[in-house]
Amino acid sequence: MKKTLAIALIPLAAAAQDGAQRRIGFENGYTEIASGKWNGPRTPDGQPDVQGHWSNTIANHSNFTDPQGGVPGDPKPSRRSLEPRDTRAPSRVTDPPDGQVPFQPWARARQQEFVANFHNPTQPGYIEPLARCAPGGVPKSFLWHGYEIRQYPGYVLFLFDSGTRIIHLDGKPHLDKKIKLWNADSRGHWEGNTLVVDVTNNNGKALFGRSGEFFSENAQVTERYIFAPDGERYNYKATFTDPTVYTRPWTATIPARRRSGIETADGWHYQVAANQAGGKPVIEHYERICAENNVGFGNVAVTAK
Amino acid sequence: MKLKITVGLLAALLAGSVMAAEKIPRAANGKPDFSGIWQTTSAADFDLEPHSARKDAPPGPGVVEGGTIPYLPAALEQKRKNFEQRESADPRAKGWTLGTPRGVYYPEPFQIFQRPRDLTLVYQFGHSVRTIHTNGTLHPAGENKEFWLGDSRGRWEGDTLVVDVTHFNDETWLDRAGNFHSDALHVVERWKYLDANTIEYSARLEDPKVFSAPWNIAVLLHRHREKNFQLVEDYRYTLDYEQHYPPKP
Repeated sequence: MKKTLAIALIPLAAAAQDGAQRRIGFENGYTEIASGKWNGPRTPDGQPDVQGHWSNTIANHSNFTDPQGGVPGDPKPSRRSLEPRDTRAPSRVTDPPDGQVPFQPWARARQQEFVANFHNPTQPGYIEPLARCAPGGVPKSFLWHGYEIRQYPGYVLFLFDSGTRIIHLDGKPHLDKKIKLWNADSRGHWEGNTLVVDVTNNNGKALFGRSGEFFSENAQVTERYIFAPDGERYNYKATFTDPTVYTRPWTATIPARRRSGIETADGWHYQVAANQAGGKPVIEHYERICAENNVGFGNVAVTAK
Repeated sequence: MKLKITVGLLAALLAGSVMAAEKIPRAANGKPDFSGIWQTTSAADFDLEPHSARKDAPPGPGVVEGGTIPYLPAALEQKRKNFEQRESADPRAKGWTLGTPRGVYYPEPFQIFQRPRDLTLVYQFGHSVRTIHTNGTLHPAGENKEFWLGDSRGRWEGDTLVVDVTHFNDETWLDRAGNFHSDALHVVERWKYLDANTIEYSARLEDPKVFSAPWNIAVLLHRHREKNFQLVEDYRYTLDYEQHYPPKP
């Protein structure tokens, strides 16, 4: 697969926590990965084996449609001037081609209202819910810290920095539509190198990030996780359908890359610990805690103990 | 006569355990496979010790071996205070991570996912994730680590999974009655199939800052076998603010 250019553009917020000892750089572009056969390793039950640690390669959740453009309306932007727009990573919205979420007028107005109030929130709804330790939800969990994938017969498990997602592969029916969840209800199956997941029962509460894009509890999402032949990268392509919020279905693309080797660990993309088993190095994933800690983050919210 | 009965009983028990050993689910590596969704029917989380009915708890015969937790005097006083303030002071009431072993006998289901290298426990309550490492690794050395769920290292003794859990913080409670521990808590769990759909779970708790001696609990965990049963995430710490989202027309 063609290598993409790695550049040293790091949105400030991405590495602001955790006292990272080093930072993995973001990239300003990505390569399409074709759906097709999987010739790589498989789990004992026959799934493509994609277990391990992953993170997105572009940027955090500060800005959904201009991922390396910083939080819209930031009164204290990074002192370093931004790269020109055409050299920053493209919008995560890959359809429609204008790179914008096709909001209905009322929904666009609410998203812009969120942006206008984000830096000085006067109502709880202007606080980005992840800053209150809410689960990242779909699709924001893929923009936040690195995460681990574990696989089992009948399941793919995502252990995110904020929240946990269980993808059911056994074809059982979705939960009753009266049940609405931060991380929704997921039914998946493998098509060659692609994990296809039908996502329903969203509660719509998580928002997509600090730029305030959202869907409602009526949203249905079809996710396609398309893994590269070498198993080192995948592109997440999700189509969002919500006739109560959008004028048409639209698609987001979020590129991700495998993280491995303790020497590359940082406090954001790849938060792991080293251990040893039988003299061999083993990478471990410690528990993730957020709501319990008496601190908020993201410059806005402070949780009360 | 008495001897006869005992021998007969023993034979029946042996036969029972042999049958159980033959029928329990096993992983490809031959170890017992605990994959599944589990839950206790006990009243352990309401109070580990034997207790009568209370307004906020059903009665329970207790799951503590010997019936009483051996608190040190000062710790017993703290437990009494916790009990008085349990409605608000229980970390559970805030939706916080339940800890170990409480997550196991909390009355919501949890799911075990098993690989040769580890068991992953996803608790419905908070969807918190605990990993029990079974790959021969030891507790992390070096700096003093404190985890809400502790650090779990398991080993197989025959068909019993023995898990050593250390590196706790002092934030979690053991039940709704205010039973508690310090950061010196050390738990040794034993997970063993009683039959294909029942796990015999026991734990030994020691904490020299809080207890005068180690003590033991035991509960049964039952497999959820309802058709299409699954965990339903319970991020209840979001319930105080979730109504503000998403934006409405």
